[in-house]
Amino acid sequence: MNRLLNRTLGTQRWWVTRILVLPLHLLVFAVVTFFLVRAIPGDPVLAVTDGDITPEQYEAVKESLGLNGSIPEQLARHIGNVATFDLGDAMVSGRPVLEEFGSRLPSTLELVFLALLSVGIFSLFASALIVFRPKNPVSRVLFVYARTAGAVPEFVWGVAAIFLFYATLHWAPAPLGRVAGRMRMPETVTGFPLLDALIEGNTRAAVSMIEHLVLPIAVLTIAQSALLTKVLVSGLQEATSAAPTRFRIASGAPRSAVVTSMYRRAAPPAVTIVGQMTGNLVGGAVIIEALFGLGGMGQYAVDAINSKDIVAIQGFLIVISVLTLLVFLLIDVATMALDCRRRPGAAGVAL
Amino acid sequence: MNTLTAKKPATSLNLKWLKLAPITVIVLLAVLSPVLGTFDPERVVADPSLSPDGDHFFGTDPSGMDIYSRVLAAAGRNLLIATGAVVLTSIVALAVGLLTGMNESRSGIRAYLARGASRVLDLFDAVPAIIVAMVFVALYGVSPTTLVVSIAIIMVPAQARLVRTEVLRIRGEGYVDAARMSGEGEFTVLVREVAPNASWPIIENASYVFGVAVILTAALGFLGIGLPPPTPEWGSMISRGASDAAVGRWWSALFPALALSLTVGSVALASSLIRTRR
Repeated sequence: MNRLLNRTLGTQRWWVTRILVLPLHLLVFAVVTFFLVRAIPGDPVLAVTDGDITPEQYEAVKESLGLNGSIPEQLARHIGNVATFDLGDAMVSGRPVLEEFGSRLPSTLELVFLALLSVGIFSLFASALIVFRPKNPVSRVLFVYARTAGAVPEFVWGVAAIFLFYATLHWAPAPLGRVAGRMRMPETVTGFPLLDALIEGNTRAAVSMIEHLVLPIAVLTIAQSALLTKVLVSGLQEATSAAPTRFRIASGAPRSAVVTSMYRRAAPPAVTIVGQMTGNLVGGAVIIEALFGLGGMGQYAVDAINSKDIVAIQGFLIVISVLTLLVFLLIDVATMALDCRRRPGAAGVAL
Repeated sequence: MNTLTAKKPATSLNLKWLKLAPITVIVLLAVLSPVLGTFDPERVVADPSLSPDGDHFFGTDPSGMDIYSRVLAAAGRNLLIATGAVVLTSIVALAVGLLTGMNESRSGIRAYLARGASRVLDLFDAVPAIIVAMVFVALYGVSPTTLVVSIAIIMVPAQARLVRTEVLRIRGEGYVDAARMSGEGEFTVLVREVAPNASWPIIENASYVFGVAVILTAALGFLGIGLPPPTPEWGSMISRGASDAAVGRWWSALFPALALSLTVGSVALASSLIRTRR
């Protein structure tokens, strides 16, 4: 098996095998969500409906939860459904779960993507300041901040930001949605609200959206940048005394070339941590959406939980899992491309 | 070794213990909250949204409950949930880490199972913590017990991996071989030799687990799916304070937020005492 893979894929094996295990990972999540629902103590149907239903309704709910038939039958059906991206119909609205996510996931992804971009830029600047200007008072503050990673959660920063920038200074718009009240949302083309507004050429809506996104993104950046900054700083500090850096300095390379090579050496661990950062940002976005009334997956999930919509919750977990699996796939391939020592099978290569 | 420690000035030894002071104060406040609280923390006791004054030290929230008494009353609950989560996480993570670590480099079916278990745990570590907590609470309801269990489920993969790495290192150490050769059974070796030496990473990391536990409990409360009101809980208090903060009343969110951050910070400070390596 191993030899066959090696012969057919040759030196490209590392990323092909990494992609091939993706369905296996998805299968694991499908099985786990299956047993999570079955592990609900007592009768799940009664737990969801509070027991105030007719026998016909009971059967209908049981079927919509996929609880009819024997356990192996149920499991096979569930895995089949997940494989074909059929997440069932939400119990409250009766609409397919995937359809409900289709209109909400893009706006959450947009927030996560913009926040990730902002975190990346902030961390690059902060780490450069800390490493190359260690005596600067700003970099001292940043260094302490990077070490206290995550002590103050995003909802605390968020409430503080609303108090300061909305209630006191009146710089930010009311935290009550994606656009100013009465303004209509742009036509859905891609599903990403800001992108749609730009495609439509609706600058007023786009500007209003950006105004409404500045504070949430700033809050996510402050709450989540510490981890990436910390990893970048330790990577850069290690690179400062590394032999290749000293060689470059000694041979008179320009400062920019030395700095670039240091960032290049610090990149693999930083890229690895970006995977975890994305996960954290998805979690943070869920909370921030609730606080700033941005709609999206966060509010949907909270509503689903409050109405005990198990089908929607199960779908929510699967969609987020698939999302994180894809992100980690990208991150893994990126780190392996950046640093060939991290490729599987490279363990024997001299470090 | 003894002469070295004796040479150290006595003051540095005493000052070191000051790191325990903040968390001791917080625990004392939590324990004494029934005495220190001035009002019933679960009842409406005054007009809504009063600013802090001599009667209501931290003011009142939008429904007229005394924030000072509620912040104090919430401390005990939040600390207990976090402590429970740390204990449960550590026990389960130690067991899982020992089992996967000891079996992984063997041959046969047990090795495959152990390696598979490690991979699955890594997978779960990838899903955002708050999402797992939300789903768990949605399916099994909210109570201090389900909160403790869900936080443990979230934190076990990372902690178990730390133990596993340590076990993989210890397996080859001389004293493990020596114990085996002196005729000790596999289980005795595991419990008496490997477990004590492999558990330092989870003890070192316990403050992190504690911080995550406090923040996750509060985050669920903040989303309105944690412990239901009027139960005093920092997260749901901050959430109610958010609407107050939007109209310029700073106090109802500030004090629970301060309590939360100070608790996480002081546990981290205390744990730097036991951080021996690195």
